Amino acid sequence: MSILIEVFASPGCPRCGKAKEVLQAIATELGGGRIEYREIDVVEDLDYAVRLGVLATPAIAFDGRLIFTGLPPVRALRAELARRLSREDGVRRA
Amino acid sequence: MSTALSASAAKGRTLNKRRDRRDEYRIGDIARLTGLSADTLRYYEQIKLLPAVNRTASGIRVYTGKDISRLNFIQRAQKMNFSLAEIGELLKMREDPRRARDEVRRLTAAKLSEVEARLNDLNILRKELRLLLNLCKASDDGCPIIEGIDRKVGEKTRQRRRVKAQR
Repeated sequence: MSILIEVFASPGCPRCGKAKEVLQAIATELGGGRIEYREIDVVEDLDYAVRLGVLATPAIAFDGRLIFTGLPPVRALRAELARRLSREDGVRRA
Repeated sequence: MSTALSASAAKGRTLNKRRDRRDEYRIGDIARLTGLSADTLRYYEQIKLLPAVNRTASGIRVYTGKDISRLNFIQRAQKMNFSLAEIGELLKMREDPRRARDEVRRLTAAKLSEVEARLNDLNILRKELRLLLNLCKASDDGCPIIEGIDRKVGEKTRQRRRVKAQR
């Protein structure tokens, strides 16, 4: 099982590029192949974005649930991902 | 003591009377408050969507706050595209929910489902529109809608200033 990270971005969004960059870096660093990463253009996939509750970009969802709106601090992203990965490890060991 | 009590009771009656008078509306008032025409109001009374409206000695219709509440309900139900016949049934339920017939209860339940489905649709639409506006505001390229509004507001402000300066 892997963790699905989705970054919701939109054309002309000034902080979306940074969000993608940061997330990709953290995912590569911590994920070890256990992370599935997707970028979603909200204009292209408006229904899905609205269903998840995205009201602004960038927004970040983990496993189909909206967790961050805006660009969170790197340590918050790192902590959230680390928490999920350790939970995943626990499930795998059990 | 009894004098004080009767004085207080008399005062209460006067207040109630005043309150009653404040709760009286002529057809023109109702038309203004609800946006319905006088003809429509008379028609609603004729088809019994409104109970027989009280009249003054000279025959002028006198509506009450309860009529306004009923008319507001009718208008809301019409916005949901309920027919006048359906609205009439729903009004019976509204008037006396405990004594409503089974078919009226069933209709009310069906209409509630319609309202909830519409609310769900509207809620999704609201989120979509809010997201679009937020995208627009946050965009580096600017936002034609917001800029348009800003321009209009700016023009109005400048216009007001010019008028003030001319005075």
